[in-house]
Amino acid sequence: MAFNLTRRKFLQTASLAAASIPLSKVVSANTGISKSTLDTIGTSGDKTVVGGICEMCFWRCQMVGKVRDGRLMKLEGNPKSIDNGTALCARGNAGVKLLYDVDRLKYPMKNVGKRGEPKWKRISWKEALDECGSRLNSTVEKYGPQGICVFPHGSSAKYPMHFFERAVGTHNVSEASFFQCRGVRDTSYVATIQKAPGEKIDMPNTKVLFFVGDHLGENVHVSHIKQYIQGLQNGAKLIVADPRFSAAAAKAHIWVQIKPGTDTAYLLAIMNYLVENNKYDKEFVEDYTDGFDEFSDAIKEWTLEKAAKECDIPAAQIKEVADMLANNAPNIAIHPGRHATWHGNDFQRGRALACLTGILGAYYVKGGWVPPKSPKLKSISWAKEDHGHTYDLNYNNEDEEELYPFKPPGTPTELIRDCAISGKPYPIKSCVVWGQNPLQTIPKPEKMKDLFRAMDFVMCVDVMPTDVTAWADILLPEPSYLERYDYIKKGTQWDLAQEHQQYISARMPIVPPMFERRDQVYITNEIAKRMGHEDKIPVKNIKELVEKTLASANLSIEQLKAEDGIHIQPGKDPFEIPEDFEVLLFNEDIADTGHPGAPTYLPVPDNPKGYARLLYGRAPVHTFNRSQNNIWLHNEMPDNPVWVNDKVAAQLGLLEGDTVGFVNSEGVKSATTTTVKVTAGIRKDCVYIYHGYGSANPLMTTGAKAGVDDTALITKLAIDPESGCNGMRNNFVKLIKNGKVLDIPA
Amino acid sequence: MQYGMIIDLERCVGCHACTIACRAEWEVPVPYQRNWVKRLGPTMTEFGMAATYYPGLCNHCDKPPCVDVCPVDKTDMTFTDSKSGNTKTMKVAATWKDPFDGTVQVDKSRCVGCGACADACPYGARYVNPDQADSESDGKVDKCTHCKPRIEQGLVPACVQTCITEARIFGDLHDPESAVSKYVKKGAKGLEVADGHIGPNTMYYGNKKDISLLFSDYTPKLANVDMVKRRAMIASLVHPAMNKAKEIGVLGLAGAMLVKGLSQKDDK
Repeated sequence: MAFNLTRRKFLQTASLAAASIPLSKVVSANTGISKSTLDTIGTSGDKTVVGGICEMCFWRCQMVGKVRDGRLMKLEGNPKSIDNGTALCARGNAGVKLLYDVDRLKYPMKNVGKRGEPKWKRISWKEALDECGSRLNSTVEKYGPQGICVFPHGSSAKYPMHFFERAVGTHNVSEASFFQCRGVRDTSYVATIQKAPGEKIDMPNTKVLFFVGDHLGENVHVSHIKQYIQGLQNGAKLIVADPRFSAAAAKAHIWVQIKPGTDTAYLLAIMNYLVENNKYDKEFVEDYTDGFDEFSDAIKEWTLEKAAKECDIPAAQIKEVADMLANNAPNIAIHPGRHATWHGNDFQRGRALACLTGILGAYYVKGGWVPPKSPKLKSISWAKEDHGHTYDLNYNNEDEEELYPFKPPGTPTELIRDCAISGKPYPIKSCVVWGQNPLQTIPKPEKMKDLFRAMDFVMCVDVMPTDVTAWADILLPEPSYLERYDYIKKGTQWDLAQEHQQYISARMPIVPPMFERRDQVYITNEIAKRMGHEDKIPVKNIKELVEKTLASANLSIEQLKAEDGIHIQPGKDPFEIPEDFEVLLFNEDIADTGHPGAPTYLPVPDNPKGYARLLYGRAPVHTFNRSQNNIWLHNEMPDNPVWVNDKVAAQLGLLEGDTVGFVNSEGVKSATTTTVKVTAGIRKDCVYIYHGYGSANPLMTTGAKAGVDDTALITKLAIDPESGCNGMRNNFVKLIKNGKVLDIPA
Repeated sequence: MQYGMIIDLERCVGCHACTIACRAEWEVPVPYQRNWVKRLGPTMTEFGMAATYYPGLCNHCDKPPCVDVCPVDKTDMTFTDSKSGNTKTMKVAATWKDPFDGTVQVDKSRCVGCGACADACPYGARYVNPDQADSESDGKVDKCTHCKPRIEQGLVPACVQTCITEARIFGDLHDPESAVSKYVKKGAKGLEVADGHIGPNTMYYGNKKDISLLFSDYTPKLANVDMVKRRAMIASLVHPAMNKAKEIGVLGLAGAMLVKGLSQKDDK
């Protein structure tokens, strides 16, 4: 290690500091060995507060807080948890720094400047709520409830989302967790097995883990990671298809360095090989599937050789993968994925994954897809009302058909944006953003800004001054997940091989909210009163919402507290296959809508000459953009270096650590720069960065301008034809070094 | 007894939880750290493509090079073995290796914050914590204590408690039955310095390619101890002069400048 003299400005700073210390404060040196008052004491003596449910991401681990003199010092996994146990990830541990982030929103604010170039004026809650109520009312009066669009995300957004959807009556709700994330995964499985798959694979007890793009380790959900590593420790083989040598690929037995966008071709070839060579589970197919003949007929063109060419991988490797699956069936964990809005052909990929699981007989078996039996609780929220299809943008009232028949709940984002910007077929004039940062979740952020420009009124509710908050007219501060009652978390023990148990836990405040932050039930109810929906208000406050939900399981907040924050009860065996379970290998309903009834590969646009495909993924220490301003997490990974293939880098003269910017094939340049990571672990035709970096809002003093914002470079829109979800990996970039644009060699 | 930490790289997923839990537990200010995770690769090794992690912390070495360079006057200190109750009195400076549990510790009340020990550590496992500045120094040296105060209460280290995959295993390397000893028998090994033998007690276990990548990237070299000692000596000489300067109050400014002059020469 280098002998670092210049690092230490010790003597200078000490002496200058000394000059400013008054004489009376000068103390003489201690002598002898004694515990210094300067020593930190650790948190083991601090008060333990139960009831924490994490929301640094959306896995929602159960926690306890260590509180000293009213200040939260540390978060730990709740030792009673049968899910995450005492473990938390980096983000969970860093929740303390979200709580005390100096940049957090503190008071209701009114934008007295322009949208996008705000000048903030602190106002009272009454003034803020009056303005939200009257502005939203005016939109409803002039344009109808469909004149309001809503962009929600996270557990605090559910109650207001239901208010606007159910009580007010707008269909125009776009959840990032669906249309830019897992929605297409869910609907593709629903169209195959009638259930959303979650990530319910019995990884600890499987023989083969099969991942397509899943980058566990960089994508961190605590109990899921526990399952994954337990599976590997128990001897499972791991197959990872990814253009990049991901954290999961690094632990894989077979790494399939697939060409981006071609995953479905790979899956079809595996299935075709299994069918043609009689290596599929005939009994399961006979008993539990439908449409096998049409299915096998539709995929028979996908020989190993054809897929090898399309996917740019060896045919022998596809065969090796298929044989490994066949030899270990049915104890195979085909990962359904999570973020699945990749290429605009994702519904068919999801279908292929679900069908592959089916022909391997890997449903409801040890090591397969097994939905744990979780406790049942009533959902307390705004009452559902039928608002008809007239203003449902996804519904064609003439031929009475849905534009995107396999969409997740809500309205596909682009339908809302197009309508809001064009005013056709009707005006949308108010926008409610709650916990979402659409500028860094939805592709083509300029289009989002156009939407805001077209509005009469924009309100945002958030914890942090994210980029979107700069576009609000009224900006309202929420308490964080550590300061409010809220979400009920339930589930089972993390390893299905252990005794079957269920748990129920509720989010309870670990510390009281500071400043003037108000929770979602308060804000929504106050707006509801001002919009004439007072009679429909389901709960008076957020604590009542939690109490009523718990009461449906014969529990209460008091009892949960007495049980150290988590109620545990006997569980049920989840392995029994339901009698009516059916895997639709060929789905007539899909065919009836004019889409392929058997899983089908839809090719995606190829790289324009001189461009690399822009891939993005998770940083293990961040949840998208949400955690970017967290000083502890920022310190772990302050920017998002761009992964460039080592041979490409050599041709371009790029060295590790070089500073580069980006320009995409539509001429959009990155607002910031990042550094180059030269690696053999990525294909030549793509580059990769972590998602969520590069915040633009200067009020995020830690996260602003750190790294490059991938979403800003995703300007070419691709829409999945069945689900209406976005595809975000069909964008192409060149790198810019010292002002010079570098052509990526083919 | 010798406490040690095993890092099982087959289990580690590189999530960085250990570093943040430690930061919260011991109020370690950014950008300093008592432990760290560095991400290695992907790169080609002789055993194939590899990407792994270097979760590092103080190695509580058998022969810690940080201890001998401490310039603080030695004083008698009595250590007690938590198991047998036996005691042992040794002359120690402001940092030492515990004769019973093998951990390397710091006495912050006597540390002058000169940072010589931090410079002597081949692993970069020590830093001067500016949050612990007092009238005597601009900070105290801080480092991993193997969570000694927690261990004494029967808890596990904060990094071990939060580890998602049980990739961190803590225990007594001298006890052949301990989980950590079993890992050593399976081949876990420490990042020994390239040019000496200091006996690191953090051991890494993993497959060939990951271990090969870790050891090729992060095998350290000993610091130039003569240089460190020279610095430490100057620091200890200047330290009383600084105090004197402070005691004369406003005139301390002039004194400070004088001291600053001295230190700048040294910094070159």
